[in-house]
Amino acid sequence: MRIGIVCPYSFDVPGGVQNHVMDLAEALIGLGHEVSVLAPADEDSPLPSYVVSAGRAVPLPYNGSVARIAFGPVSTARVRRWITRGEFDVLHVHEPLTPSLSMLAVLCARGPVVATFHTAMTRSRVLSAAQGVLQILLERITARIAVSALARKVQVEHMDGGAVEIPNGVAVAKFAGVEPLPGWPGECGPGTGGTLGFLGRFTEPRKGFPILRDAFVALAPDRPGLRLLVAGPGDAEDLYEQFPAELRERVSFLGMVSEADKPRMLRSLHLYVAPNTGGESFGMILTEALAAGTTVVASDLDAFRRVLDGGRAGRLFPTGDAAALRTALVELLDDADRRAALTACGDQVVASFDWPVVARRVLEVYAAAIEATDGRVMDQEWAGLG
Amino acid sequence: MPGMWWVVGAVLVVALGAAYLIWTAGRVERLQTRAESAARALDAHLLRRAAAAAVLAERRYGVELYAAARIALDAVPEEREAAENDLTRQLRTVALDPDDPACEAVIAASRRLALARQVHTDLVRDARAARGRPLVRLLRMGRGHDWPRYFDIDDPTLSLPADVPTG
Repeated sequence: MRIGIVCPYSFDVPGGVQNHVMDLAEALIGLGHEVSVLAPADEDSPLPSYVVSAGRAVPLPYNGSVARIAFGPVSTARVRRWITRGEFDVLHVHEPLTPSLSMLAVLCARGPVVATFHTAMTRSRVLSAAQGVLQILLERITARIAVSALARKVQVEHMDGGAVEIPNGVAVAKFAGVEPLPGWPGECGPGTGGTLGFLGRFTEPRKGFPILRDAFVALAPDRPGLRLLVAGPGDAEDLYEQFPAELRERVSFLGMVSEADKPRMLRSLHLYVAPNTGGESFGMILTEALAAGTTVVASDLDAFRRVLDGGRAGRLFPTGDAAALRTALVELLDDADRRAALTACGDQVVASFDWPVVARRVLEVYAAAIEATDGRVMDQEWAGLG
Repeated sequence: MPGMWWVVGAVLVVALGAAYLIWTAGRVERLQTRAESAARALDAHLLRRAAAAAVLAERRYGVELYAAARIALDAVPEEREAAENDLTRQLRTVALDPDDPACEAVIAASRRLALARQVHTDLVRDARAARGRPLVRLLRMGRGHDWPRYFDIDDPTLSLPADVPTG
């Protein structure tokens, strides 16, 4: 199949949507399809061979954050040229409701269009002022995909349309079998040692870092050798001042880790802790920790419970309860067999999030969109699904 | 000369109005055609599922499943929705083994059918919304086509792939 994918955000800055697009494109190429990705990017930035640059992106304040997007007459001309030259069987746009390349591509498209909605954003401020424009845009989309139950709910309730829920994939191969960081994770036995990890914005309340901190501060004096490894954006000082002076040497801060170092960081842990208090629609980081073979302890949110298969693939604790988290940590740090059992189950769970598996489900949606456009049904083999 | 500007203005308004009407007519036509294509694709997927179920019934699960598949294949349009729902119910009562090719064929056909149904419903909704606009009704645009009809059946997805959590 010839597939054209449009990414609205610049590949020059890392982000969830960009990673999703790249992983999906690579998985589809791996399944034998021809893929071209159109994305904004600086002229001189190194891009994978399947990416076509749509020119430089300009930072625009949008929906409360700054997005680097390309939009305007020059971009429109480039999108149109790319679509004409590509002769795609199906066009797959991401986040088409942000004013971006994706929106332009939807408006230029003639054939079947599949749209993926990542965020649970109801509708942009720009578009809420123009219901008619939104309708013109939405009716050009043939099939819709939502990456989480929450994003799907928004589709159904606010945009009058169904959407197929297909979760984010994980590039399992990138996570399995990497070397941990030197010197980690260290010893862990009954009553002693162990490494806990946290990745994310520790200053953001809904990430729940204070709950992990409370549990760590309560547990560390009773458990010699217990260490905490934190990674994510933020100031080291802001992190350390949350801990009593005598415990600070047992807390390590890595700052931002690159996509390449993330698997190594996750491998350097005995337990990955996700103490989030809400606002998570999927829990990507949990699937990544599972793919790295690290045992996961997570708060009992709907999204996390689903990823962890109701607690079979990781330990759940009542959301926001530091005492319960402490109990769970002790239990798992003391019991290597239990950790191994959870990890083994985690391997099975994560296999279903592996990109080739997820990409096959996306291909079925492509097939449905193409069929709905020309009215003929494809064979499994032709669609590359067999 | 004020009179001339008046004429230019009127011509402009008429031209814009005509452009809008042509564009709207094209839009209605496009949505109609697409909804009809989606209906054909849905029909094909329904036939495929029923055929796959019939093959499976001949091999393993016997009379009731075969009867349901047969009835779904032969149903007249007015009874088709009910017949397809019956087939879905029959398929849910049998334990399908994903490793058996005949079962896998039914599971795959059901999954593709679920997608076709979803897309068809969305496209019919879009087409009906366009047809229902006052201007479109007034000018009887799209009158060459029947009103697109929903095909109202239960979600035919069988064992949701156990590996993928759903909400």
